[in-house]
Amino acid sequence: MNNSRLRFGAILLILSMVLVACGGSSEDTVEEPAVEEAPSETLAAPATTSPPPEKLVVWAEEKVAVALDPLVGAYEQAAGVDVEVVIYDFGSIKDDVLTAGPAGEGPDLFISPHDIVGEVATNGVVAPIDLGSIQSDIFDVGIAGFSYGGEVYGFPYATEAIAMYYNSDLVDGVPSTWEEVKAACDAAGTELCVGAPGGGGGGDAYHNMPFIQSDGGYIFKFDGGFDPSDIGLDNSAALSSAEYLDTLVKNGTIAATDYGASMTAFQEGRSLFWMTGPWARGDASAVNYGVGLIPSFDGSAATPFVGVRGMFISAFSEKKVLAQSFILDFFATVDVQAAMYAQDPRLPATKSLFAIVETEDPIAAQFAASAANGIPMPNIPEMGSVWGPVGDALLIIRDQNYGTNEDTGVTVDSASDAMKLAAQQVRDAIAGG
Amino acid sequence: MKISTIIRYVLLGIFNALMFYIVPLAISYESWFLLLIVGIITFLINITYLTNRLKPLKWITPGFIFLLAFVVFPAGFNFYVSFTNWQTGHILTKTQVIERLEDLTFSTEEQRGVEFDLYVMQDSDLDYYFLADLDENNLLFGKAITSDEFNTINYANHEPSFKDSNNNIVIPESLYLLSGKEQIANSSQLQELSLLVDKNTRINLYNISVFGASSGRIFSSQQKYSYDSDTDILYDNTQNVACTLGDRGNFICGGESVDPGWRITVGSENYQRIIDDERFRGPLSTVATWTFQFAFFSVLLAFFVGLFLAVTLNNEKVRFQKVYRSIYIIPYAIPGFISILVFRGLLNPDFGLINDWLDPIYQLLNIEPIRWFRTEASSKAAVLLVNTWLGFPYMFLIVTGALQSIPTELIEASKVDGATPRQSFWRITFPLLLVSISPLLIGAFAYNFNNFTLIFLLTGGGPPLVGADVSVGYTDILISFTYNLAVSGGRGVQFGLAAAVTTIIFFLVLIISAISFRYSKRLERIYGNI
Repeated sequence: MNNSRLRFGAILLILSMVLVACGGSSEDTVEEPAVEEAPSETLAAPATTSPPPEKLVVWAEEKVAVALDPLVGAYEQAAGVDVEVVIYDFGSIKDDVLTAGPAGEGPDLFISPHDIVGEVATNGVVAPIDLGSIQSDIFDVGIAGFSYGGEVYGFPYATEAIAMYYNSDLVDGVPSTWEEVKAACDAAGTELCVGAPGGGGGGDAYHNMPFIQSDGGYIFKFDGGFDPSDIGLDNSAALSSAEYLDTLVKNGTIAATDYGASMTAFQEGRSLFWMTGPWARGDASAVNYGVGLIPSFDGSAATPFVGVRGMFISAFSEKKVLAQSFILDFFATVDVQAAMYAQDPRLPATKSLFAIVETEDPIAAQFAASAANGIPMPNIPEMGSVWGPVGDALLIIRDQNYGTNEDTGVTVDSASDAMKLAAQQVRDAIAGG
Repeated sequence: MKISTIIRYVLLGIFNALMFYIVPLAISYESWFLLLIVGIITFLINITYLTNRLKPLKWITPGFIFLLAFVVFPAGFNFYVSFTNWQTGHILTKTQVIERLEDLTFSTEEQRGVEFDLYVMQDSDLDYYFLADLDENNLLFGKAITSDEFNTINYANHEPSFKDSNNNIVIPESLYLLSGKEQIANSSQLQELSLLVDKNTRINLYNISVFGASSGRIFSSQQKYSYDSDTDILYDNTQNVACTLGDRGNFICGGESVDPGWRITVGSENYQRIIDDERFRGPLSTVATWTFQFAFFSVLLAFFVGLFLAVTLNNEKVRFQKVYRSIYIIPYAIPGFISILVFRGLLNPDFGLINDWLDPIYQLLNIEPIRWFRTEASSKAAVLLVNTWLGFPYMFLIVTGALQSIPTELIEASKVDGATPRQSFWRITFPLLLVSISPLLIGAFAYNFNNFTLIFLLTGGGPPLVGADVSVGYTDILISFTYNLAVSGGRGVQFGLAAAVTTIIFFLVLIISAISFRYSKRLERIYGNI
């Protein structure tokens, strides 16, 4: 199917190589004198030697990079360094840090969610950081997310957790129990009640975790660190939670929607509630909306997964002290964090920024309150074997796909069966290495 | 001299210059493999284009080099990886691991979290001095030295004279205090320097501040690990133990293996696992069967839709031929991943347009709407439907092209002999088409056999095959199944295992292709003479 494409690609490649060759050689001749001149400007002190200006490379996903890029000018000016913020595809930051770092082509710093901490630390591609006095300003959930093997592997600056959007034209707020949610939907008469990702064929353990772990269920036991040998997906609390989710699906409270369907339903006013995170505020603004806490389960507050975003230092950076300084002296300061927040609003992980945000943005405060109830997503590499099985099990419940499987002969007749199966798959995967 | 010769030498010159440019780079990165490749390629290119004796090679050499670079090398590398334990925790080489471990510092419990102002100074000999303001009784001053000089016993002293009565720092005339900006300009040097407090304790510059005062941290004067290359032993200085070499590419300190480890060759272990591991073997037959079905029906459906359209539009009586042809190319022109995502939305069972359109039919026949993506049959149908949409324009194009090359006399002759149009199509046109198209069909089969994008984006492998030992779905094909196993293994990503599976898939496709080519050769022998 792609013979022709291959050939075209090959020609393009040859052409680009030729161009690169020409471009490279001409650039060299232009640049050389410039490099020699530059240090003379930094020769403020009589005694200093004259190295070329230092350069830091930061990788970040588009939204973050676009917010950060205009801010680093102040640091470049003050510190006399060149900070290059590279827009990097969100999905490939981890993979490329793992491969480019060892090859000597990685960044000095990069921004990523915390769920990769275990994997990048195990692989030795990130350097630990001693946050010193600013550590006390960071919420515990942030430090917990970035801790692995007794070290902290970055500066956590933002948290993320799901909460419940409501259509404020149709309802006054989010009720505190699921029974009241159902009643509110019946009263409003919308086509769907709660749109939550993780159904409609699109398995999504992340959005469904409050249904499982709010009332005593858990994936890995957390005790200072996550313990991959203690899996609580099929303890009695998790099973009864899963059965309760099943009830909510059966009585029509939770609709069978994947992410896209839950979004369009909310935007078109066909659903009263939408369970997702603060990143969707722009999408939700198609209607008048408000945000509240996810209703409680049997009296226990809903505990969503908290994602923590932070800045890491590459172990392969040759300028570690400079990289540490960039974080401690610049990026972690309240002013920069506030400016970042203005460009790319994410729940603050620092108390000082939260104090500012709380007064300015009540909706962000709701998400923050939801995150405060939550637990950090496990950051150990074993988590990789969880998403698939748990997403599948919750998908069975959400889509009511019960029955006996003809190929495997296994019967899943209830939500409990589905969770037991998932727990077994996770245990097998971890045991199998 | 002819202009073409001049161009040739200029281009060759540029090429050689570029290659020479790479040589010192490769040496500085100790990348001997790259150096070897650069050498071979430069040699090949020069020998081909400098002399006139090897004229035919001029056309072949570039292609040969690209074949090496983009086909043979990745395949060979993949084959190599399949014999290693390349996985999370083992992605570096041993040299890199030792470098990483030797780079680690450590602080004892009481040294941890102590943060204090640190001043950096220089004397007229350009030597650096640190002044650490720990507390009232510890205003430590001394020469900043590298770890090689630790044995020279340049310990720091308490120097109260650096503070005046108002507790402000006073710097003597003989020293120059570096500003934050100047410290940053020299940070590459400064990060190697320490202020040695005593035999076991040192102070390092940790945070250079351009907005306030720089600060330091206290570390143990020893690194966390030290490595002796003669004996190949790593010492863990936190516990004071010597670490042994594990057989999986790890150092083992006090019974615990140290992360990161490095990659080693493990022989046929990955292949053995595929055979032995129940988690893998269990769903394998289901997945393999569907992979073959998927690849076969994808090609078949796309081919017949394309064939039908091409033959129909090939009729001279059709008006606006070009318009129709352009329209049918559109699915080919839209990037596949976009159409796939669009289809995912269209097929949504609750809100998708397709079920909306089909609604009258559901009503008429009084049946339940199709629950796309939620049942095995509907998911498989959706996958084939979308792949047919994506694939038919290509078939349409090549069939249209091939049709033009079939001499019309043959068809006319068969007409004269009394063949019906149907007979002349199936007996003459179709076999002749197959002669030229069957290699492309085989190619399309191999492509679909590994059509990861479609499955990953459209169904994600779902719906789940409930009850399997591992998370796998009904529409998972071998390559997406492998992907899931490799990235969601017990502990991170397992490249070695994934490479082993892809090697097996490679040989499968190779065998199928070989048999098919054999068959198409036979076709050629029968019909090629016509």
